[in-house]
Amino acid sequence: MKIKRVLIIDDEESIQTVVRFGIAMAAGWEVLTASSGPQGIHTAQSELIDVILLDVMMPDMDGIATFHALKTYPKTEVIPVIFLTAKAQTSEKNHFNDLGVSGVITKPFNSLDLPSQISKILHWELQS
Amino acid sequence: MKILLIEDDEAIISLLTKSLTAHRYVVDAVRDGEMGWVYGTTFEYDLIVMDIMLPKVDGMTLCQRFRAEEYTIPIVLLTAQDSSTAKIQGLNAGADDYVIKPFDVDELIARIRALLRRCSATPSLLMSWGDLLLDPVTCEVTYNGQPLNLTTKEYELIELLLQDSRHVMSNDEILDRLWSSDEFPAEATVRSHIRRLRYKLQEAGAPHDFIGTLYGRGYYLKSFDQPIAPLPQPAPEAAPSYATLDANRDSSQTLQYATFLNETWLTTQPHCLEQVEILSQAVQALQAGRLTEQLQQQAHHIAHKLVGTLGVFGLTQGEHLARRLEDLLNGAQLSQPEQGIALENLVSLLQQEIQSTPTLPRQYAVAQYSLAMLIIDADAGFTQALAEIASQRGIKSAIAPTLEVAYQSLASSTPDVIVLRLSDPTQRRECLQTLADYLPKIPILTVANQDNLNQRLEVSRWGGTFLLEQSVTFEQIVTYAVGLVQPLSADAKVMFVDDDDLWLRSLPALLEPWRFKVTTLSDPQQFWNVLQSVSPDALVLDIKMPDIDGLELCQVLRSDPQWQQLPVLFVSALEDAKTQNKAFVVGADDYLCKPVMGDDLAGRILNRLRRIKSFTHRSG
Repeated sequence: MKIKRVLIIDDEESIQTVVRFGIAMAAGWEVLTASSGPQGIHTAQSELIDVILLDVMMPDMDGIATFHALKTYPKTEVIPVIFLTAKAQTSEKNHFNDLGVSGVITKPFNSLDLPSQISKILHWELQS
Repeated sequence: MKILLIEDDEAIISLLTKSLTAHRYVVDAVRDGEMGWVYGTTFEYDLIVMDIMLPKVDGMTLCQRFRAEEYTIPIVLLTAQDSSTAKIQGLNAGADDYVIKPFDVDELIARIRALLRRCSATPSLLMSWGDLLLDPVTCEVTYNGQPLNLTTKEYELIELLLQDSRHVMSNDEILDRLWSSDEFPAEATVRSHIRRLRYKLQEAGAPHDFIGTLYGRGYYLKSFDQPIAPLPQPAPEAAPSYATLDANRDSSQTLQYATFLNETWLTTQPHCLEQVEILSQAVQALQAGRLTEQLQQQAHHIAHKLVGTLGVFGLTQGEHLARRLEDLLNGAQLSQPEQGIALENLVSLLQQEIQSTPTLPRQYAVAQYSLAMLIIDADAGFTQALAEIASQRGIKSAIAPTLEVAYQSLASSTPDVIVLRLSDPTQRRECLQTLADYLPKIPILTVANQDNLNQRLEVSRWGGTFLLEQSVTFEQIVTYAVGLVQPLSADAKVMFVDDDDLWLRSLPALLEPWRFKVTTLSDPQQFWNVLQSVSPDALVLDIKMPDIDGLELCQVLRSDPQWQQLPVLFVSALEDAKTQNKAFVVGADDYLCKPVMGDDLAGRILNRLRRIKSFTHRSG
């Protein structure tokens, strides 16, 4: 499998850092980071991205608004989006699924597990 | 929680047993000091309550005896003597608390609870695992906010599993901890309690395998954090559930990740504290009656962020506090100043939790080295900091502030490496010389604060390694120290004979971090051939096996002079003293009861190898 490029959009810098390290270490994937919705949309338009990890609760433009915006641009609408959230209630998960996101990963997570979780959600063949 | 009550007054026994049982403690009561000693040293208790005036052996003497034998269990003394000398005597004898008769039962229970909390490895108020929360003060258990209606035994069972959530609890261990010793419940009792507990958890929305079963070994709490995409199942031929113990992940990767998390936490911690500060401002505003909708929203947002961040860094307690804050701040605008009190408490607990976590809990760490290091130096600042850094890398340290303490420590256990930093040149010379004579093969790392040829010469003359303090960090000292040690376990050949195939198959993964060369054998008939061809450094035997049992194998082995030095460890499900005795009589060096965890097993094997090593050092 070729090296994947992951974009994480989260306003917490420490989460970006830990996710980038964990994913790089566990699978050798490249991780790009963005600290807000608009910044993330910009990166998604200008770079080739295989999957977006999107934090749901962000100030100003939250994850749901960012997701809708991503779906309006031809270049970004095809990129699978996985929500990152500290909320794990079933009703909310169903709501997210109805929106059309590819999956939800619940915080807390061990970043070393992220590549296998992402691959499972997106049916990628993960080779170790 | 299990309490031993040593008291000769029947009225007090019945009163205390009743009240303690009502508070969900398991109580064993004995009526004299001698029985107290027998029970206290035979069974495992969380706390002892004892009267001072006791038949046969009095409480004071008994207390001293427990302490002299290094039992650290908390002890509460009961006495009718209301004088400060008696109290001082009691505390001097090693008691942790002292209650005067007649006493208020509620007060005694409060003191017991406080002591248990102080002495417990997890001193936090709330216990949690995933969405499960247990509040030991109110005895309430909830799953994802849903209360669970548990019987006393079910409550104790889940509490026990939560107390050491990385540990697999065997049936016997559970029986031992939760049933008093005059009850004789069958193993099936545990199973049926587990079944009912699982059912209730499932009713509340927990996954059906929230409490996992490790075949033949016991019960444990499953990892909870992958509800959507569970970890890939281990290959069928691997042991069933070691995935949850991280053994199937490259341990150096886990260790590096833990180190990285720790480094990142250093910069994240101040940021989290700033966020808590904003929460605190919101609480103050609420109490002053001027909390705006905007500020509440901001506080809610911050609490939510903290849930995620603290969770990712493994601060489970902080994560739960933040989650409760998030729930309280969610929704309708808060306006009642009373609501501020609950919030204020939570915020201050959260602040303490973040502040008191300079380094992360070791849930991701793996004991990779299992090395023992002796640090000799009078400066506690240096020794403790070094020991802390070493422990993050799985190295156990002993600290000796003086040469006397160092010699005492060396007499009882042999470290793999010694770090010596005595500024007094005479003392240092004496130490180097003594160590060179006494334990010539143990590497010594000398950390000096002056760089001159004479010092270097002296260190090298006695075979030490020289480091200049100003030019190295603590991490580097540890790295050098590790570098001096050829890991004892690397390439040590360990042979296991056991008819339990499943267990044998799990061993390579279980012992992987220690890099032993593992040979397994399930057919005792092949023993001699395999032994001769492998020529192991240590042998681990099961007792009950078809045709030839482990005791006989050991006897056969010891009857040949060539094999008399080989370390032999027994690992068996048989726990009775008679069998253990037999094992030692036929020549065992150690005896472990199943279930055994990887680090226990590796530690005990290493202990034996270490003895052999220091023996050959001294004679060679």
